[in-house]
Formats: sequence, C-alpha cells, structure tokens
Amino acid sequence: MMASPWLGVLDDTIQACGAHARPDLVERLRARRAELAGPKVRVLVLGESGQGKSQLINGLVNAPVCAVGDDVTTSVPAIVQHAEAPAGAIVTGDDARNLEGPGRVPTPVESVTARANRDTGAVRAEIGLPRKLLETGLALVDSPPIGSPASQHTHRTLAVLPQADAALLVSDATKELTTSELDLIGRVQRFCPTVAVVLTKTDLVPGWRRVAERNRARLQQDGLPATVIPVSASLRLAAARSGDKALNEESGYGALVRYLHQDLMGHVDLLRRRSVAALIHMTVEQLGAPLRERLAELREGGTDELTARWRAAGHRLEELQRESARWQTVLSDEVADLIADLDFDLRERTRRILREAEEYFEVADPAKDWPEFEGWLRENLRSVAETNSDWLLDRFEWIARKIARQVAPRSGDVLPEALLDAESRDHIGDLRMPNVERFSLGQKLFVGMRGSYSGLLMFGLATTLAGMPLINPISIGAGAAFGAKSVFEERGARLKRRQAAAKTAAHRHVDDFFLTYGKQSKDTVRLIHRELRDRCTAVAHELRAEIADTAKRIKQVIDAETAERGASARELTRAIEQLNLLYRRGHALATTQAARGLTA
Amino acid sequence: MNLPELTWSLLSRALDAYADSPRATNWLRGHLARFTEPLRLAVTGPHGSGRSTLVNALAGEVVANGPEPTRHHVPASRSQPELTLIDTPPVDAEGADPGSLERICLEADAVLHLMGHPHNADLSFLRTVQDHPVARAAPVNALVVLSRADELGGGRVDALISARQVARRYRRETELAGLCQDIVPVAGLAAQAGRTITEAEFETIAALAAVPKAELEPLLLSADRFAADEARAALLSRFGLFGVRLATTLVRGGVDSQAALAAQLLQRAGLSELRDAITRYFTDRARVLKARSALIGLEVVLRMEPRPAAAPLVTELERLLAGAHEFAELRMLAALNTGRARLPDGLKDEALRLIGGYGDDPPSRLGVAGPEPQLRQAALGALRLWQEYAENPVLGAAERRAALTVVRSCEAMAMAPGL
Repeated sequence: MMASPWLGVLDDTIQACGAHARPDLVERLRARRAELAGPKVRVLVLGESGQGKSQLINGLVNAPVCAVGDDVTTSVPAIVQHAEAPAGAIVTGDDARNLEGPGRVPTPVESVTARANRDTGAVRAEIGLPRKLLETGLALVDSPPIGSPASQHTHRTLAVLPQADAALLVSDATKELTTSELDLIGRVQRFCPTVAVVLTKTDLVPGWRRVAERNRARLQQDGLPATVIPVSASLRLAAARSGDKALNEESGYGALVRYLHQDLMGHVDLLRRRSVAALIHMTVEQLGAPLRERLAELREGGTDELTARWRAAGHRLEELQRESARWQTVLSDEVADLIADLDFDLRERTRRILREAEEYFEVADPAKDWPEFEGWLRENLRSVAETNSDWLLDRFEWIARKIARQVAPRSGDVLPEALLDAESRDHIGDLRMPNVERFSLGQKLFVGMRGSYSGLLMFGLATTLAGMPLINPISIGAGAAFGAKSVFEERGARLKRRQAAAKTAAHRHVDDFFLTYGKQSKDTVRLIHRELRDRCTAVAHELRAEIADTAKRIKQVIDAETAERGASARELTRAIEQLNLLYRRGHALATTQAARGLTA
Repeated sequence: MNLPELTWSLLSRALDAYADSPRATNWLRGHLARFTEPLRLAVTGPHGSGRSTLVNALAGEVVANGPEPTRHHVPASRSQPELTLIDTPPVDAEGADPGSLERICLEADAVLHLMGHPHNADLSFLRTVQDHPVARAAPVNALVVLSRADELGGGRVDALISARQVARRYRRETELAGLCQDIVPVAGLAAQAGRTITEAEFETIAALAAVPKAELEPLLLSADRFAADEARAALLSRFGLFGVRLATTLVRGGVDSQAALAAQLLQRAGLSELRDAITRYFTDRARVLKARSALIGLEVVLRMEPRPAAAPLVTELERLLAGAHEFAELRMLAALNTGRARLPDGLKDEALRLIGGYGDDPPSRLGVAGPEPQLRQAALGALRLWQEYAENPVLGAAERRAALTVVRSCEAMAMAPGL
C-alpha cells in the first residue's frame, strides 16, 4: 500500500480534536486510526430480527458457526475472521465497543456463539476459520437484531457500528424494505458509508425479483447508494452439501462473494478513505455544532439587558435636567409666598398688639401701670416673634421636603437638620418709659389755690352785695369747691397726656420691633433659601454625576463586550472555517477514485 | 343481572334521556340493533401482513382482494359460529386517515391484529385500539396473529412449531399481554389453500408426491426452481412454498383424499388453532363483547353530548365497568391459557371450566347436567371449594388472586335467579 494521504487528514483531525479540548474524541479517533492502519476490513452484518443475518455468515463461510434460530437468537456480536485452524473464543469485559482486547475464553468453534448468546457477561464471540475468503483480512461481524431504540440488542449493534468498514444490511425477500430499515441504512451510512443490502431467503418466495427491483428503486429514490444482492442461504448450504456448482450460483452467494472479494477487498484504500471521510464528517459535525451554536448566540447579541440599562440611565439624566429647572422655580415661588405670608402675619399680629395696648391705655394710668404694661408688651412681642419664626421654620421644612422629593425622590432625606436652626435673637429691645410728669402735692395745692381763688372771689363779691364780707363761709366753701374742681380737672388732663404719651411710646416700640424683626426674618428667609438652593443643587449635581458615571461605565462594559464578542466571533468563524477545510479534505478523500468501483 | 342485560337497560335509559337528539338516538339505536347481529371481527395489520389472505381463509372462499374495507358475512359452520369479517386498510398505509381505522375499530366488536415477527412489530395500532375509557377497563377484544408463521420458520415443513415457540415467548411479555388476549401463529397462505383446495390441485399435489424423493427435493429447494413449470407456478402462488412442501409431505405420509388433506392443512397451518381461539375468546362471549361495544358507544354519546339528565347514566356506566366480572373472566381465561397466570394442574382445568372456558352456560361451567336445584347445589359446592383455595396459604398470591376470580364466577352462578 502506498503512503496513505488519508492518514495525514486523520491526524490533522485528531489534532483539531485536541485543540478543541475533546480528549474523548481524540481517544476514539486514535483507536480508530490504529484499526484503519491495520490490514483488517470489518464488514458488519446487521438488520432486524429474523432476517437471516447469522445464516448469511454461515453461508459465506460454509459452516454453521453462528447460531441460528427462528426467534431472536443472536444477543452478542460475533466476529468471524481468518485463522490457520478453527478456533473460538468468548470475550468478556466491560468495553463492548472495542472489537479487540483481552478477557478471552477459548471455546469450541461449533458452540462458541450459542454459548456467548446465553452468557450474560459476554460482550462478543470470536471465531477463527481457515477460509480463502477471509485470508485477505476480511472479518465478518454478526450482530444482534436492531429493534426498538431502547433495547439492549439495538444498543449492542450500534456500539460496534463505528468500527465497521462496510456494512451489509440484511432484509428478507418476503417483504420490501420497510421505513425503519431505510432509516437504518441512512443511519449506518453516516458511520460507515459503504453499505450493501442483502436480500435473503430468495428461495422462499417466487416474487423476490420484484422485491429486489422495488428495493433498488426505493433506495435510489431515497438517495441511498447501496447495492442490492439477493441470496439464499438454504440453497448455498444445500449446494455445499451436494457440491453442486450451479446450485451455488443460483443461491446468489457467488455475487455476494464477488462483492466482498473484489468490490470491497479489492479497493481497501477507497474503503479506508470513505471511512475516514465519514469519520471526519462526524467529528467535524461534533466539533462544529457547539461552535456554530456559540456563534449564533454571539450574533444574536446578549447585551440587550446592558443596553437597556444604559438607555435607562440616559433617560434618567435627561429627566434630572428637566427636574432641576422645575424645582428651582418651585423653590423661588415657595419662598416668595413664604415671605409675603410671614410679612402679613407679622403685621397682623403687631397690629393686634397695638390695638390692645391702645385699649389698655384708654383706662390705665401709665404712671401706675407701666411696668405691668411693659411686661405684657414684651411677652406678647416675644410670642409674636417666636410664633412667626416657628412658622417660618415649619414652612421651610415643608418646602425643603417638597423640593427634596422633586430633586431626589429615591435618596431619602437630602437636607441636613442644621439648615433649620435659625438663631433666635432679641428683637424686642428696651422699652423706655414715657416721660410722665408727676402731679405733686405743691402743684395740687397751687392748682387748687388757683381754682379756689376765682370761686372765692366770684361768690365773695356776690355775697358782699348781700352785705356779707368778702370772706365769708359761702365764698370760702365755693372757693374750696372750685379749688377742688380745678385740681380734679388738672389731674384728668394730666392723665390724658400721660396716656397719649404711653400710647405713642408703645407705637414707636412696636414699630421698632416690626422693623428689626421683619428685617431679620427676611434675612433668615433669604439665608435659608440660599442654603437650601445650594444644598439641592449639590445633591442634584451629585445625582446627575452618579447616573452619568453609571451610564459611562455601562457603555464601557458594552463596548468591551462587543469588542470581545467580535473577537470571539472571528475566532469561532476561523475555527469553523478550519473545520470546514478538514471536512472538504475528508470529502475529497471519498470522492477521488470514486469513479471506479463500489458505487454499483 | 349480567353485563349484557345491564348494558341493554342502560342503553334503553340513554335512549330516553336523549330522545330529543336525533344524532344520539340514531347512534344508540344502531348499537341496540347490533346486539342481535353476529359478532363483527375486524382483521387489521400492516401492509403485506396477509389480511386478505386470512379473511379468505376464515371465510372459506376468496372474498377479499381489494384495498377497500369490506364486510363479509360468514355463516355458521361446524367448526365456526356465525361471524361478520371486516377487511381493513393497512394500518401503516402512507397518507392513511388515522380516524378511518379508529372508526372501523369502533364498528368492530373484536380485532384480529396481524404481524410478522413480534420483535419488529409496531404496536401503536393496538395501543390505539385499547386507548378508550371502556376498552382500558380490560383488553379483551384483541388477538394477535403471527400471520406469516411459515416464514418465521424459514418455510420448513415444521415451521409452525417454531412459530408456536415464538408466540409462546411473546404472549407472556407484559407489553403485548396488556394489549391482546393471546398470540396465535397462522401460515395464512397454506390455511387459505386448505380452505379452498380444489380437486385439480389435489391431483397435482398427489402427482408431485408420487415423484421420487431425490427428484422432488431439488425442485422444492427454492420457489424459483419449483415455479419453472407453469402448472407448478400456479400451485405455488396458491399454496406458497411452505404449503406445497407441507401438502406433498402429507400426501406422501398417507393422506389420500382432498378432504383429508384440507383438514390436515388447516391443522398444520394453524387455522384450527386460530378458530378455536376466536371461538373461545370471541364468539362464545359474543354477548359480552357486544355489550362492550355498546358501552363504548354509550360512552361516546355521554362524552360528546353531556347533559344533566344523563349524569346518573355516567355514574352507572362507571359502576358497571368497575364491577364487570365478565371482563375479568375473559382476562383470566386468556391468562390461564397463555400461562400468564398459573394454577396447580388439577385446579387449572376446573378453573377454566368454571369461568366458562369450555362453554358459557351453567351446565358446562359446572360440569353437571340436571335440574336447577342440582345445579345450584353444584355451584355452592364449587363456591365453597374455591373460597378455600382463595384463602389457602400454600398457594401463591397470584394463584389466590386467580382463585378469587373463580369464586366470583361461582357466586354469580349460585345467586343467578333462573339457573
């Protein structure tokens, strides 16, 4: 044999399996390579139950070496190969896949398959026979029937399938190929492209030629390139018994032997190429499937979730921008409202105090009651200031919360308490007592004297007319009365004056208070307003920065991932490309020289 | 009341409940009418399994050879009661309407399902047949026929023997046993030939048998060789290689008349066995199978047209199915015959007799002929005896269960009013 080009391709495939981290495939391919490099050609005989598989082999080797029966007989594969002298062995062990290995029990050749079929531990039977047909390295493998996919028999047969170089599908002539048999041929050809259909039991039915023709047509129609060889084992065995050459030719075995001997063993190299091509085909499929899957996955793009998050961040940023304009307007509006309200409140409260003070001084005498009044006024003004500034703080707190909700609805309390502790200063100042002139005893005496003078004189002169002296009791009484009256009048006038002065003083004082407190209150409002605005701006800014940062990071991740995807997609494509190349090389192996032979 | 009577009354009540629905009424009337007709036996199977051949063999004449589903009435004969055979399209036909087969099965009271080798067989059709609430209660209406038994044995003269071995093995397999009553091998072509053999054919066979063995044997080696002559080719197409081999061997062995050869052929082709099975499982129990078909029909009506007036009928139907001892009897009959259930030798025969394996009427069941008190006496005796068996700790659990079925049969007889 020349240096085989298929060995090179196979070695490359094994290397590719190694590169794709598939040690299982490497091991399998190595084992298969060793088999392929050897001289042996394994022909697997398979088919459904009762089609005459074992009998076919018996006919081929002209000896009843494979046990036959009317029910399911074969339960383990039996391999029939060349040997100098007849020899049999039952192979036990756990590696049912391997056709060569230790664990052999020598058994008489006549009963080896019958015993192996009964032996539950047996994985296969081996039979060596001195036959010319087998001398070239041909090995016939009998197999348990293919039935339901779950059955152990089916499993055993399919397990030896990858080791086969060619396959004979056995179907009896009483019926045409069934759908399941056609499926089976298709399945077998994936592993082992050289398949022939052997139509057995042609002795049994007169219409076997029609069945064979229909089978050929059906195979062609389904695109399954397989030769159909009709045979009859009973005729062959009868011919062997009688030595009748014509009968032997009639049995169809001549054609089958020619097929095995010339078409298969004559083109071992082509067989090998085909097997290798099929092997490479399957390996490439196995290696390529996950790659293609991953590539498809990559192409579909898995960044959907990230992109969505990125978009959401951008969206949020825009929203924040809009929000900031809004909350600033709201803040200034609220503060303007607040100032107006505070002003009105202050004015209204001080006016009420003034009104009360005036009412008070309608009756009260400042000279006597001033201290009490002063206390009351102070108390009232303080309470006004307190109420007003409490209200201010309350309102600001409310505004702050409202704005905070707008600025950062999710991040809770953005406003520190410190903002709201407005200093409480003394806005009330000193209340000076108005100048109150005292109505002293001397003055009283003087006023009384002055009043009594006119009375005394008036009545004294009047009584002189009556002859009484100027100073008489009547004029004295009148004088006293007049004196007392003017003293009283003087006292009332003085009280009025004092009250007016006190009212003025109270007015002035309240005005002062209004001015200073109002100023200070407005200052506080502005201060807090500014503070609040700065705080909120800072928070909003921080928030914006945070979201912008997140968006940027997501974008980076997306970019990186996309780049990575691109890289791995390229890598995958390259790997798939390489596998395809291998596939094409394998394919080329099978098609060169296909022109001559084997396609029948 | 037994199952057929209960079914009859149930159907009559359903007829009242559905008086206003013409469709349901028609359907139910049809089922009531079927009660008095002969048993309908459908022959089903995949393409090329020999359905028409078997129909011909059972009918005794060439009646079926078209693809259309046809019905053939087979009058009662000595070895076979009255039957209506239904030839059906193949179950695996490409583009076949799955509903049409189902309809046929609804129409038939019993099914003969044909298959080549049970190992390669597709059981999905049998599963469809049994996939019905009533049918699931007990698969008592199906027999599997290994219709190409001669090919199972490679066309040898003793092919039926190996086919019987195959049948024996598969009839105990849980899956098939759950779908049919029994598996019977038949060499269809030879059986058909046996039923329809002509004088001329007998003459040809006799002439062939007269040829010296050394000369005849090479001829019989293959169909090709045998068919070289035109007359022989005709014979081959009618008998098959197995039939020819069998017939010549029989004539050589001393069978000297057409009738004797026909009888022998039927025997050796397995047709007699099939007829026995049909008689035992189907025609003897025709009334039970008819009741079963009627119950299936009733269930269809109750399901398709539910209405409050029919609600008690649903309950009744369920109770009837759950308690139907006739189905249990039939299953037990098959189980004892196929070896799925075992009883000690002496007991098995008696059990078979009591559950009606040798005839359904009380005298044949009890094995006593006489006036009513005597029969009742015998029934009570059997009841006591089998109650003891059912509680006998020496017997295994499966055997005691089988005995319990027999006890129920005895009870039914002992309690029957007009024994």
